Amino acid sequence: MPVPFIMPKFDMDQEKATIISWSKKEGDLVKFDETVLTVETEKVAIDVPAPASGILAGILYKDGDVVPVTKVIAYILKEGESIADLPKADSPTLPSKPEAAPVLQTTVAAQAASVNATPVALRMAKEEGVDLSKVLASGDKITREDVQHYIEEQKKPAAHVTLPATPAARRISLETGIPLEAVAGSGPRGRVQSADVLAKANSVPSSVTTINGREAEVVPLNSIRRTIAERMQKSFQESPHIALAVDVDMTEIENTRKRFNIQAEKFGQPRITITALMIKIVAWALVRNPYINASFNGDSILLWKDVNIGVATAVPQGLVVPVLKGVDQLGVSEINMRLSELADKARENKLKLENVQGGTFTISNLGMFGIRQFRAVINPPESAILAVGSVVRRPIVVDEQDRVEVRPMLSLTLSADHRVIDGIVAAQFLSDLAAGLESPNLLLF
Amino acid sequence: MPEISYLEAIRQALWQEMKRDERVFLLGEDIGRYGGAFGLTHDMLDEFGPERVRETPISEATIVATAIGASLLGMRPVAEIMFMDFVTLALDQIANQAAKMHFMFGGRTTVPIVIRMPGGSGSGAASQHSQSLESVLMHFPGLKVVNPSTPYDAKGLMLASIRDPNPVCFIEHKVLYKTKGEVPEGDYTIPIGIAEIKRAGRDITVVANNIMVMKTLNVAEKLSKDGIEVEVIDPRTLLPLDTETIINSVARTCRLLVVHEACLTGGWAGEVIACVVGSPAFDYIDAPVRRLGGKDIPIPYNRGLEKFAIPQEADIEQEIRALVEGKI
Repeated sequence: MPVPFIMPKFDMDQEKATIISWSKKEGDLVKFDETVLTVETEKVAIDVPAPASGILAGILYKDGDVVPVTKVIAYILKEGESIADLPKADSPTLPSKPEAAPVLQTTVAAQAASVNATPVALRMAKEEGVDLSKVLASGDKITREDVQHYIEEQKKPAAHVTLPATPAARRISLETGIPLEAVAGSGPRGRVQSADVLAKANSVPSSVTTINGREAEVVPLNSIRRTIAERMQKSFQESPHIALAVDVDMTEIENTRKRFNIQAEKFGQPRITITALMIKIVAWALVRNPYINASFNGDSILLWKDVNIGVATAVPQGLVVPVLKGVDQLGVSEINMRLSELADKARENKLKLENVQGGTFTISNLGMFGIRQFRAVINPPESAILAVGSVVRRPIVVDEQDRVEVRPMLSLTLSADHRVIDGIVAAQFLSDLAAGLESPNLLLF
Repeated sequence: MPEISYLEAIRQALWQEMKRDERVFLLGEDIGRYGGAFGLTHDMLDEFGPERVRETPISEATIVATAIGASLLGMRPVAEIMFMDFVTLALDQIANQAAKMHFMFGGRTTVPIVIRMPGGSGSGAASQHSQSLESVLMHFPGLKVVNPSTPYDAKGLMLASIRDPNPVCFIEHKVLYKTKGEVPEGDYTIPIGIAEIKRAGRDITVVANNIMVMKTLNVAEKLSKDGIEVEVIDPRTLLPLDTETIINSVARTCRLLVVHEACLTGGWAGEVIACVVGSPAFDYIDAPVRRLGGKDIPIPYNRGLEKFAIPQEADIEQEIRALVEGKI
């Protein structure tokens, strides 16, 4: 029987996935575990590997289709099998064909007329999606027991029934689509435990190759890496980047943060981070400079009404940019709390699509690594990105009398899309931003 | 909040409830002039008089039967079985009379009695005075089996038990009598049938009763220094058992160990485990589900051997480590 290829479930609360693209087409030879299509879940793009080796056939959904998880999306034909062996209801899709689910139901309904089965068996077949024409009757009618027997027989070939694994590992295996056979069990007597399946899920297979006599480790792109690669190349090719930098005296904003933290402590709230304050002031400067909070739109420019600031965050798999929505409407303590929630979600790989979409501006911070200053690549379709360096205490001239004082100084670099933003507009934004950071009272004006 | 002993907490509950409700009276062996085998009822005879602190002959069947009769006529007796071991002598009255009446009379009769019984080993009282028979009592629908592990729970559960309209077996622990804890002076009850998470943790759920709660909490404290976070659940009431709290916990921690002093075979740990593995938490279980119980032997008189007969902290620690580290 052809191996059904189901839409895997990647996440506990996931209900559907969107097919981004099939990398194999009808009739292609595929190998077990080889990527066959890429789908988008609520989080990120994920490569879906083939459940078996064979010929891809009977593709039921096309690029862009939204498919409920665990639905059959195609079949893998093994040696000696042909399209004729595919279940009838699931014959290859024509472009105009609607979802497969109703087709299956019709088939089951139609069975009622043609198959000699008891009403209970009919209902059970309908509920379990069993094709009654394949069920052998033990008497003159197909009974409930016959359907049950058939279902049990269908389940049998699954090798992991005899593989030692904890119930939790089995559940995670089902949810992630990682077969237990592919996981090395770390438990006693080779028992597969949940951590083993999760480790497999998070690992990127790598191998070593030799090119012109030189050895290199091959690291296949995971979906996050691929997304970053595509977006960054697009950004750099399409938008002419200009970069402007400004130095900011952080004395006042540090004082403000201390005062805020006294309040936060009083209300039992978490400590306010400098990033939260920075986001607030960036939002304020964006409202004053709408062209920075904009997108290039071919023959027009879109000035976004909402200020949605993304914060580039490093996670084990790469980089994600969770987005804080409507920041100009929020107070610092609210920003602080939402930021920490998003950062936790990012680290735990629990960001939803809505958490990473809809940004109008991005902040990237490498200050914690002691980077003084850097240029960032714009995150399309946004028009600008702010690169935040480290706060360094250094001597600067503070007044007309050339008095020198040591102050905490921060370097900010704005990368802007020149199609939307002229140098002078970028300069005005940076000057507003610096003013806001050096005199936070200005925000009250 | 004042700190008092487990024994004093139960005495306080009895005292306060007898002051509040004149239908409440005590009966049992040596509970008057002598003040009870463990001193739990000392001074109560002087305060409440021989009508309300009634000394009985050495016949547990009579004690419980008298309590049942009085309860049917509107009283709220609290009977004492001096050592839980002797509950066997009263089992016909408890199992075939008290537990059945509310049901057999179509709900028109209630049997509001409390049967107090100290159980457990650790006091060198030998085989006939050291048993933990809670699992036996759990097999009679119509009974409630209450089993507090702290002074706070003991008082709140005793007040709830006396006010309960039907029979409650109130199991105390001899070694816990001297343990202290904060107990409010005023009136409060703890609902029967509700477990408590005594310590929250992410790595394993350990369900334990009476003295094993204390032992498990000590182990949990020690293991937390090694990064193993143990969630300790005290069912507090064994019948009805709060399976929901336990199931939800296992779904979070993915591991389960049940610890009791009662003999392993036929012990209530099996009941807890059956409830969990048959629940939706099954799909979250990530290690063998295990139980630690007393050895299937009569409790020895020899103090050294007595210790070996029931789970000790080292046993609990070893079991938890093996489960969390995936070595079993």
